[in-house]
Amino acid sequence: MSKYDVSELDADELNQAIDDTNFPQSHHVPSSNGNRDDGDEKNIRKPSMPLPMKIQNGILSKSYSDDVFAMPGTPRTPRSITTPGHEKCTFHHDLELDHRPSTREDLISDMANSYRMLLSSLGENPNRQGLLKTPERAAKAMLYFTKGYDQSLEEALNGAIFDEDHDEMVMVKDIEMFSMCEHHLVPFYGKVSIGYIPCKKILGLSKLARIVEIFSRRLQVQERLTKQIAVAVTQAVQPSGVAVIIEGVHMCMVMRGVSKTQSKTVTSTMLGVFRDDPKTREEFLNLVHSK
Amino acid sequence: MSEKYQVVNGNKIHENGDREQNDDASLKEMADCYRLILQNVGENPKREGLLKTPERAAKALLFFTKGYHQKISDVINGAIFTENHDEMVIVKDIEFFSMCEHHLVPFFGKVSIGYLPNNKILGLSKLARIVEVFSRRLQVQERMTKEIAEAVDEALKPLGVGIIVSASHMCMVSRGVQKINSKTLTSVMVGEFRTNQKTRDEFFRLARS
Repeated sequence: MSKYDVSELDADELNQAIDDTNFPQSHHVPSSNGNRDDGDEKNIRKPSMPLPMKIQNGILSKSYSDDVFAMPGTPRTPRSITTPGHEKCTFHHDLELDHRPSTREDLISDMANSYRMLLSSLGENPNRQGLLKTPERAAKAMLYFTKGYDQSLEEALNGAIFDEDHDEMVMVKDIEMFSMCEHHLVPFYGKVSIGYIPCKKILGLSKLARIVEIFSRRLQVQERLTKQIAVAVTQAVQPSGVAVIIEGVHMCMVMRGVSKTQSKTVTSTMLGVFRDDPKTREEFLNLVHSK
Repeated sequence: MSEKYQVVNGNKIHENGDREQNDDASLKEMADCYRLILQNVGENPKREGLLKTPERAAKALLFFTKGYHQKISDVINGAIFTENHDEMVIVKDIEFFSMCEHHLVPFFGKVSIGYLPNNKILGLSKLARIVEVFSRRLQVQERMTKEIAEAVDEALKPLGVGIIVSASHMCMVSRGVQKINSKTLTSVMVGEFRTNQKTRDEFFRLARS
């Protein structure tokens, strides 16, 4: 298992990943419990060490039980390049990445059967012209909306990490995002803005958008999505700080239930200097909201 | 199940128009389908966030298709009044949320309805309720537009009806071609709106302003 796999982390491990000690050169604000004062040497991560230390120890030494379901986001049917018969996958439109075969003959037909049963439970006639191929189309659409499970961070980044002596903020904003609410299986969509302060390494800009794609094309909760994106950027380039803001519209709230059509949900994750230094955070927020 | 339904314009309507009893059996059946779908997608249906998702998703889908169980006459509820008014009445920008029948993915947007009364006017919210009945179904935008037009026409027998629907289709925005800013517009003109150019112009100008 790659040490990059943010999707392998459960909630506790995600939280550990955003521990302040994982950020080089972030300004240490003395914490209220005062424990940091002597231990500074131990706590400041030396830039040469790979990130994140705690996670490495956590993941690498852990032996996975047979119940691989314990990890959220772990595909049950690992769909890999070696799965026979899937060299030509029309599923993903990412031509740069190797085709990740995500469709298997049985998967589509199983899901299509479920959808066909759903259609008849609703009282519709699955044999009328408009609905004849709907189960297959709906199955393919659902597999597309969850293709993020097949993609790993390493593949998406594709080595686009460059050495550059730049330590000012880099921000890619208003990246559109489409995800699936894991509670109602109804889409939620919105915009993601990511900012980071590089520490000797910068990331190809489209890779930030690809990171968003990987984690958004899953059954998600907006809070977890924000955190996973932030941790992924951290693991990729080990910056001084990362900030992620997501502004989303949840169809589960807009088209059913409370029916609040104008409502938006905003979540953010601030790591490293963005968390410690209020001026940096303010600069980021100003740039996000500027035209 | 097919005996209970009559086919109207390609859509099945419950013969009583009553809300069908959501049998526990049918809800459970739908929840089981969703559980299978979750497994096929590669998720673990037993993790905390997904534990009750099949039931929630089934109820959500039933909500999104509740229009099948509603009858227009019930929805209008007798709110038709005699009024000596023969100028155009427009209710515009009624938001609607429907389900694409091809991909089972939402499409949503705005409906603008205009009609020329023939001495009978309709309660304004009833126009919005008519939109609800036809949008809460597995739909195709063209058919939905026509059904709304026909419903208003049958209820009021006005001199003319005009409907404009402008929608964003998530099946096109979030997958497939992925064209985010695209919108689909359909319109149906009946009676005066179809035959009289000036009426149609006035409607377009007012509804799209």
